[in-house]
Amino acid sequence: MSSQKQIKYESGFNGGAELTVMKKQPLMDSGRGNMHAVDVREDIRNGREPFSKIMSAVAALPADGQLLLIAPFEPAPLFGVLAKQGFKHESRQLESGDWEVLFTRQPAALPTETAPTSASHDFGHRTAVGQPNVTEVDARGLEPPQPMVKILEALASLPPGAMLQARTDRRPMHLYARLEERGFTGESQEQSDGSFLTHIHQR
Amino acid sequence: MGVNAPSVRLPLTFVLTGLVALLTGMSWLVIRPAILAEYHYNQYVIATTHLFVLGWICSVVMGAMYQLVPVALETKLYSEKLAGWQFAFHVVGFIGMVWMFRVWNMKQVGHFGCVFATGVGLFVYNIARTLRRVPKWNVTATAVTAALCWFSLTVTAGLFIAIGKCSYETSEGLATAEGVRTLVGGLRQLAGFMSHFDAISAMHAHAHLGGVGFFTMLIVGVSYKLIPMFALSEIQSTRRAVWSVALLNVGLAGSFVTILLRSPWKLAFALVVIAALVVYGIELAAILRARKRRVVDWGIKYFLTAVGLYAPVSVLAVVLAWPGLPLNPFTGQLENVYGFLGLIGVVSFAIMGMLYKIVPFLVWFGSYSRQIGRAQVPALADLYSAKLQAAGYWSYLAGLIVTSSAIMFSSEAFVRCGCALLASSISTLVINVGMMLSHYIRPCLKPLSTSPSAILKTA
Repeated sequence: MSSQKQIKYESGFNGGAELTVMKKQPLMDSGRGNMHAVDVREDIRNGREPFSKIMSAVAALPADGQLLLIAPFEPAPLFGVLAKQGFKHESRQLESGDWEVLFTRQPAALPTETAPTSASHDFGHRTAVGQPNVTEVDARGLEPPQPMVKILEALASLPPGAMLQARTDRRPMHLYARLEERGFTGESQEQSDGSFLTHIHQR
Repeated sequence: MGVNAPSVRLPLTFVLTGLVALLTGMSWLVIRPAILAEYHYNQYVIATTHLFVLGWICSVVMGAMYQLVPVALETKLYSEKLAGWQFAFHVVGFIGMVWMFRVWNMKQVGHFGCVFATGVGLFVYNIARTLRRVPKWNVTATAVTAALCWFSLTVTAGLFIAIGKCSYETSEGLATAEGVRTLVGGLRQLAGFMSHFDAISAMHAHAHLGGVGFFTMLIVGVSYKLIPMFALSEIQSTRRAVWSVALLNVGLAGSFVTILLRSPWKLAFALVVIAALVVYGIELAAILRARKRRVVDWGIKYFLTAVGLYAPVSVLAVVLAWPGLPLNPFTGQLENVYGFLGLIGVVSFAIMGMLYKIVPFLVWFGSYSRQIGRAQVPALADLYSAKLQAAGYWSYLAGLIVTSSAIMFSSEAFVRCGCALLASSISTLVINVGMMLSHYIRPCLKPLSTSPSAILKTA
């Protein structure tokens, strides 16, 4: 079955060799229809934001398409974003420590909520459930300065009057001055798991 | 929470000063390889060592601490103004000291040493006041505090040694004020006290205070914050981390006394220091095993290789601390290898690795962080050449191997070759830092993309 699939690789990262290895992975056999693979490990390694690349691939998927994402960590925040677009996911960790996630569009399923509002499309960036004026950004699991990039990009498209909640692995010491310059203020609270939740709102 | 971003210009100024000193020092070794090929108790070795230690290592470490201590420990620097004053004392002090060591004018070494020590006082006070603001004490804060104490003792010991090497006969006939006479009298008494100790042992004890107490303590303590930050991991055992810092303190205290007194017990305390490094290595390996970022970049590779070099340095420490070891031309050269591998191998290589993490971030933060979401900003990796970085890694490693072997066998020709390799590696770092700084001087911004993916992102 898998041999009949149409597989396209968007990343240049070790393309041919990666294909050989990945054919042995079970997730490749669990889907149906056309599969499009996106490898964002090189992007993340080079400090590039992978979200645009992923969402472009999602937008180009056929109705019965599947997206195989390969990332250096489990991209948990993305699950919620794509679930809203009718995708279910299966993830597993590879022997190399990387993660692969197979997103499958559910034809019968409609998004369970209305389409996200502005500034809610980012990788780990969504409107908080039950809090329409609060947008959440999950910037955990990223090497500096990516957390700051993610938060400030989300801030740039924040609707007037809305509030941003950002989750980071560490207290975002470099962020506060940049928030002040943009007319915002941030208060960070340490969470029970050692991460930080920063509440950002306009002054 | 304070909103003042840590300064970018100040640490960069310290780093650039350090790089100039490093390149100057290595060029000096290429021109005069006898400095390493001969026994180290002479004016040129001491001058070069202080150029590396004060001009290169201390400059970068101080600049980095002004930036990293507040960030890593979640507080604000007590005073950037004091740090600016310290820079002036630091530069005048270390340049004067190196020059006066070279011409062997110990009186002027003492004077410039006081200028340097004034800067150190400002530095220690500034960081200590910053540490008092730390909201949550941890092993890194403990290590930084210990490092400050050892650094203060290192400078004090250095001044004592300089006082001990001065002669005071010329001051006897001077009709000076009472205060000056009291001061000179006090210095003579101190010189008398220092005469109880063997000069070379005092110098070695002073060197260990700085090399282990300040530099190694910081490498260990700060990496418990920085390696998890860069590799996306966490400390795996706080207890193990605390033990490594505690053993390092105990081992160094014992080593200082036993080296100074030429006691055979110095081997026992050397083993305590080595035990601390083993515990540190185990914890570092555990942190790396648990990392989420699988790729180990070149900056981290520089740092980890430097930490790996503690192994040959530790073996040499055991050999050189062995009771009854005779001092002959070969063991004398082993002492040179020990000092060279410790300072140019471990400490300098580790600092170079950390510079590849810190400088791009500082430049990026200074030039681009205000533009996020308003323009396309380059990634950190776009600020310098990874190929040059890799070439620098291999040429540095080759340079260390060639130079260490050449020192052991007193070969000036091969010391020159090895140091030329090291100088070429340093040049790659200088070029890369130049590329980074070009972004600081002239930021490279592009308008936000209007591609479909970008529209999707901001729709």
